[in-house]
Amino acid sequence: MSSPSGKKNLLQKVEGLEHIPTIPAVLAPLLRYLERPLEDLDVQKVMDMIAQDKCLAAQCLQMANSPLFGRWQNIDSLRGAILGLGFQRVSDIVMSCGVLNMTPRDTGIDPVVFWEHSLGCALVARHFAWKISYPDPGKAYLAGLLHDLGIIVNLWMLPKEFRRAYEFARGEGIPLCEAEQAKLGFTHCDSGRLLADHWQLGSDFRDVVSLHHCQPESHEHGGLIALVELSDLLCRMSGLGHGYVEYQEVNLLEQKAFAVLSKDFPGLKDFDWARLTFELDSYMDEVHTLVHTIYRT
Amino acid sequence: MTAAEAQSASASTGPVDPELIRIRDLVYQVAGIFLPDNKLRLLLERCQRRMKEAKAQTLYQYHECLTTHPNRQAELVALLNEITIGETCFFRNQPQLDALQQVVLPKIIAAKAKQAFPRLRIWSAGCSTGEEPYTLKILMLEQAQHCLKGWGVEILATDLNENSLEHAKAGLYSSYSTRNLTPYYREKYFTAVEDRLQLPAAVRSGVSFRRLNLSDDSRMIFMKNLDLIFCCNVLVYFDLASKQKVIRHFYNDLLPHGYLFLGRSESLYGVSEDFRLVHLPRATAYVKSEHSEARKQEP
Repeated sequence: MSSPSGKKNLLQKVEGLEHIPTIPAVLAPLLRYLERPLEDLDVQKVMDMIAQDKCLAAQCLQMANSPLFGRWQNIDSLRGAILGLGFQRVSDIVMSCGVLNMTPRDTGIDPVVFWEHSLGCALVARHFAWKISYPDPGKAYLAGLLHDLGIIVNLWMLPKEFRRAYEFARGEGIPLCEAEQAKLGFTHCDSGRLLADHWQLGSDFRDVVSLHHCQPESHEHGGLIALVELSDLLCRMSGLGHGYVEYQEVNLLEQKAFAVLSKDFPGLKDFDWARLTFELDSYMDEVHTLVHTIYRT
Repeated sequence: MTAAEAQSASASTGPVDPELIRIRDLVYQVAGIFLPDNKLRLLLERCQRRMKEAKAQTLYQYHECLTTHPNRQAELVALLNEITIGETCFFRNQPQLDALQQVVLPKIIAAKAKQAFPRLRIWSAGCSTGEEPYTLKILMLEQAQHCLKGWGVEILATDLNENSLEHAKAGLYSSYSTRNLTPYYREKYFTAVEDRLQLPAAVRSGVSFRRLNLSDDSRMIFMKNLDLIFCCNVLVYFDLASKQKVIRHFYNDLLPHGYLFLGRSESLYGVSEDFRLVHLPRATAYVKSEHSEARKQEP
C-alpha cells in the first residue's frame, strides 16, 4: 500500500490536472444549446456546430450507424443523423465521442477496454432507467458514460503507477478500485472528482463520478448514483468490464445501491435481473465493433 | 410482413418485426429462455422452419399458432426443439465452466474444508447423451491434483431417454459433439476411433447414468446432499406447475452452499422464489434463497 506521504504526493500530482486534454471545444456550447426546448432547436445550427470538429463529425456518423443507437437505415450525413435519431440521441453520441477521445492511447494499457466499459455502462444505465421508469434515461446515459472519468485522470497523470495498480487488479481478479486503493492510496472516484469539479459538471454527475463505488445510505442524487453503480457492476460481471475477469460472486439484491434505488422505485423488488443480463449480452458484440471502428477513425 | 420479407429486413438490420418480439417474449414467458437481440436472426430462422410445417404465411399467423390454435402446446415444443437444437456438446458453455472453476468451486471447497473425507456431489439433470457430465468429470480430473486433492467426486447423470443414456454410457462421440474441445483435452482424454472420439473407461468411471423422470416425485426425493446441479435447457419443456415442482426438489436436494446452473439465457424469473440469482464472471447461477417458502416448511 502507498504510504500517507506517497498518497499525498500522488494526489498533488493529480490535482495539477496539467496534462489532461480539455473537453473538445465544440462540446460545451453544443450541449448547452441542446438543453433548449425542442421547438427552439435548429437542425442546421446543430450540424454547423458538430461540423467544426471534422474528426468528431466522422466519429458521430460511425456511431449513428450502429444498431446501439437505433439505426434503421444507412445514415450518411449529420443532417440524416439528427433527423433520423433526434436531438437527444445525437447529443448522447457527440458526448460519447468527445469523452472517449480523451483516453490516452500510449500508456501500455489498451484504452479500448475503458471505452467499451464506459459506452457499455452508458447504454445499460439508459436501458435500465427505461425499464424501471426512471424519469431521465438521457441523464442516466450521460452519468454512465462519465462515471469512470477518474480512470482517464489516472491514465494521464500517473500512467506508470496506474498501470501497476491495473496489473495488480488483473492478476488478482479484483475490482479496479480495490487495487487502486491498495497501490495508489486513492481510487478513480477521488481523481475523477477533481476533474469533474475542474470541468464544473453538474452536482449530480460529480456525485456519480465520486460515489459510484461507495454508495451513501442517503443522498440527494442517490437514485442516479445507485442506477450507475448497478449498471457498472452488471457490465463488469458480464464481460464489459475493464478488460479482465473479476473473480467474484455478486448478488445484486444485497448491494446497498439496490436498497437505495428500491426506495424510489419499489417495483425493483420484482425486477427481472436475469432478463436485463441476457439483454446486455446483445450489446457486447455491437459495443466491441463500434468502439473498434471509432478507434480507427 | 411475410417470412421472406422479415428475413430480408433482418438481413439488412432493419427494424425488427414486432411479431418476432412477441414470439421472443412468449418463449421467455412460457419456457424461461430468453433470446437477446443478437439472437433474433436465429429465432427468425427457427420460426421460418416451423412456419413451413405449420403452414403459417406470416409471423403474425405463426404467433397465432403458438397461442390460440388447438395444437399450440405441440407447436411450442417443436419451436423449442428448433431453438435448442445442436446445443449438446462438450464444453458447451465455457463462461459457465470458467465461473465454476474460478469462483464456485473454491467457495464449495471452503464450505466443506473441515470434513474428514470431503466429497463433491454433482448432478447433471437431463444429461442427454452425456457430454455435460463428462465435461464436468474432465474438469474435476484436472483439479484432482490441485484444489480437489484428497476429495472424492461423484457425478450423477440422469435423463428420461434410455437411448440417450446408452449412447452416454458408450462414451463414443462424433466430431460435432466434440467441436469445442481444445487440442489439450482432445489428446489427454480421448482416443480416436475412426472418425469418432472415444472416452476411455478411466474417464467414464465415476459418472453414473440413470433413467429419471424429473416429474417423478417418488424418485426425486432420493437425490440428496448435492453441491452442484446442472439442469440446462430441460425446464424449458415443462409447464409452470411442473417447473415449480422440480425446482422445489432441487432446493431440497442441494446442500446450503449449493449452486444450481441453468442453460445460457435460461431464467427462473416468475417461476420460483426458492432460489435467488447470482452473477458470476460472464455467467449466472442460482443459490438457495433465505426467504424461500421451502425453507419455511423445513422442520
